Amino acid sequence: MLEAIDLTKRYEDGELALDGLTFKVEPGEIFCMFGANGAGKTTTINLFLNFIPATSGTALIESIDVAKDPLKAKRHVSFVSENVMLYGNFTAIQNLDYFSRLAGKRHLVKKDFAEVLERVGLQKEAFDRRIKNFSKGMRQKLGIAIALVKNAPNVLLDEPTSGLDPQSGREFLEILVQMRDQGKSVFMSTHDIFRAKLIADRIGFMRKGRLVMMKTAAELAHEDLTDLYIQYMEQQPGAAAVPQAGM
Amino acid sequence: MLRDIIKKEILDNITSPKFVFTFLLCTILILLSVYTGVANFRAEQKEHTASLALNKKNMESQPTYASLAGIGVKVSKPPQVLGTVVTGIEEAVGRVAPVNIAADPNLIDSKYSSNPVFAVFGALDLMFIVKIVLSLFAILFTYDAIVGEKEKGTLKLALSNDVPRDRLILGKAIGGYISLLLPLLIPLILSLLILLITPDISLGGEDWARLLLIFLMFFLYLSVFFSLGLFVSARTTRSSTSFLVLLFVWVVFVMVIPKVAVITAGQIRPIPSVHEVTAQKDAFLQQIQAEGQKGFGDWAQKNQELAKTDVKAYQEKLRQFIQDYQQELTNRIDENNAALERDYQQKKRAQQSLAVNLSRVSPASALTFGSMTLARTGIDDFDRFLASVRAYKPIYTKWINSKLGESINFQSTEQVKIKIDDMPQHIYEPQWLSRSFVRTIPDFALLTVMIIVFFVGAYISFLRYDVR
Ligand SMILES: Nc1ncnc2c1ncn2[C@@H]1O[C@H](COP(=O)(O)OP(=O)(O)O)[C@@H](O)[C@H]1O
Ligand SMILES: [Mg+2]
Repeated sequence: MLEAIDLTKRYEDGELALDGLTFKVEPGEIFCMFGANGAGKTTTINLFLNFIPATSGTALIESIDVAKDPLKAKRHVSFVSENVMLYGNFTAIQNLDYFSRLAGKRHLVKKDFAEVLERVGLQKEAFDRRIKNFSKGMRQKLGIAIALVKNAPNVLLDEPTSGLDPQSGREFLEILVQMRDQGKSVFMSTHDIFRAKLIADRIGFMRKGRLVMMKTAAELAHEDLTDLYIQYMEQQPGAAAVPQAGM
Repeated sequence: MLRDIIKKEILDNITSPKFVFTFLLCTILILLSVYTGVANFRAEQKEHTASLALNKKNMESQPTYASLAGIGVKVSKPPQVLGTVVTGIEEAVGRVAPVNIAADPNLIDSKYSSNPVFAVFGALDLMFIVKIVLSLFAILFTYDAIVGEKEKGTLKLALSNDVPRDRLILGKAIGGYISLLLPLLIPLILSLLILLITPDISLGGEDWARLLLIFLMFFLYLSVFFSLGLFVSARTTRSSTSFLVLLFVWVVFVMVIPKVAVITAGQIRPIPSVHEVTAQKDAFLQQIQAEGQKGFGDWAQKNQELAKTDVKAYQEKLRQFIQDYQQELTNRIDENNAALERDYQQKKRAQQSLAVNLSRVSPASALTFGSMTLARTGIDDFDRFLASVRAYKPIYTKWINSKLGESINFQSTEQVKIKIDDMPQHIYEPQWLSRSFVRTIPDFALLTVMIIVFFVGAYISFLRYDVR
């Protein structure tokens, strides 16, 4: 379970990136977070991973306060970052091998890695190739494979579908659904409204560090998400006079 | 986990193109430098024995003691076998010192004076390769150690696991260091083999100890740049910045500080030029010569009577007088020269030690002075040699003066056949290992302190490093 309680982050330069963010991702649930660039999605994930200290509030992974016991908390979370380059001199398998060892999975063999890579849709010829010349999508798949191998009960994904072709995007959604069925808590930041609607159990809209809307899939069943998104991003009670929000 | 990180770091390094490049260049340069070192040493050794023999033959073939005194004797410093790895100042100052009655002995015939082009480029010895090229490689292996992983996003990914940061930096440091040593070890071992199998080169037990200490100093020196690289890469947010900063520090350490130290020392503690000292010595020599002529004239006048009355007794007295008087005058020249020289040497040493100590801020200087002292090719060793030659000079002049006195024969024009078997020989005992080692303790200490400071800096910086 992932839980943010009144999470606030003000950067050193005074920028208020997160402002009292509170949400919860239950086991077996996919939570999709939308928001314009700079809304605070990456900041949220960085706080969950203790990469930066929170100004106030708490981030909990499996009820462990990440600021108090970060190493223990990180044992229970997999992470797919926004743009990961990985080790260019290593093959896909070598990259996977190293990170699975860091994740504490040291008993895995090449067959296991091949299986995971197949699952994320990386073409077989690429398994043993140096990833130096991999496309963004291929790297993204490898990043997802790394998260899969760790097999933690919580998953944080930062815009994971950017760079994936339609076919791979579909496969990726299947993986997320499988994760949910295994009882994992999945938090995904994304711009991909169409795909998110297909799988999300709950959806949140973020604007200037605040969660301005949160609805369940059932509540959204008959709404047009794009309209809703634009509507929420344009005019927000409490912060009405923000001209640049209308683009 | 530490093992996994170390293994990954090594694998990452040795699969990178820079590794192949480094490995090839290291092998070529190290082997080349040791090869030229060995060739130079053999040539020097040959030259040394040849010049000893030639000098002896030349002296033996002199018809009279007067002409023998005229050519004097040439003392030459035996080449040091470890000059093969650390040439030191050998090529700059020369190894031969002529000893004769009049002049004060000094080193002459340096390689640089015979071919100034050498002076422009300096020696390509192993120490130079380590100081310039390998230190750059140490930087090349570390400048992106931390900041590069941040740029690749792998730092975030690694730290999204329960990996303690200290474990990560330790693993990276150990793995990185091993991968830096890999391209060095093979050529270094090969060059040791070259030293072992070359005929003419025999390393004694002490030489091995010295060589080991020199190699230890090389590794410490490279570790300074390695930990410096880690430190800077943990303090920058872009690898290009890190590289530029490191390059700048390298230039300051290797190029700027040693030169500035020498210039500053020259300003703070100026010394008279060698020409001034020589001019003073020459002036005194002329004074003594004039005095000598006058003294001889006086003596002759005083003994006019005797010359008329008893020729035989007069000649015997004259002979005795010349011998004593010559010795007295030589002694005065020597004393004056020694006083001038002492004064000059004292000033020079003060300036030198100031320059050395100022420049020691730079690890490159610590390496240069330390390894030269260990190889016995440094300033101290040449000073020692020159001092031994200067101590030898009065011994020699006493001998030649007595021979000159004995050989004056008024009865016939026939000269005494010269004999040099009983000529006192110059003895030079090279510096002991323990003394050399004590002298290099500051260098070892400085390098170690720098390693610790930079590594602790890297360690602490990484614990606080912004991984995003
Ligand atoms: N290191 C930082 N220092 C100052 N401001 C930052 C820093 N990182 C992000 N921000 C600011 O915080 C806000 C949220 O950024 P981010 O979480 O990256 O947004 P998103 O991922 O939703 O696009 C932005 O306004 C951004 O400019
Ligand atoms: Mg972002």
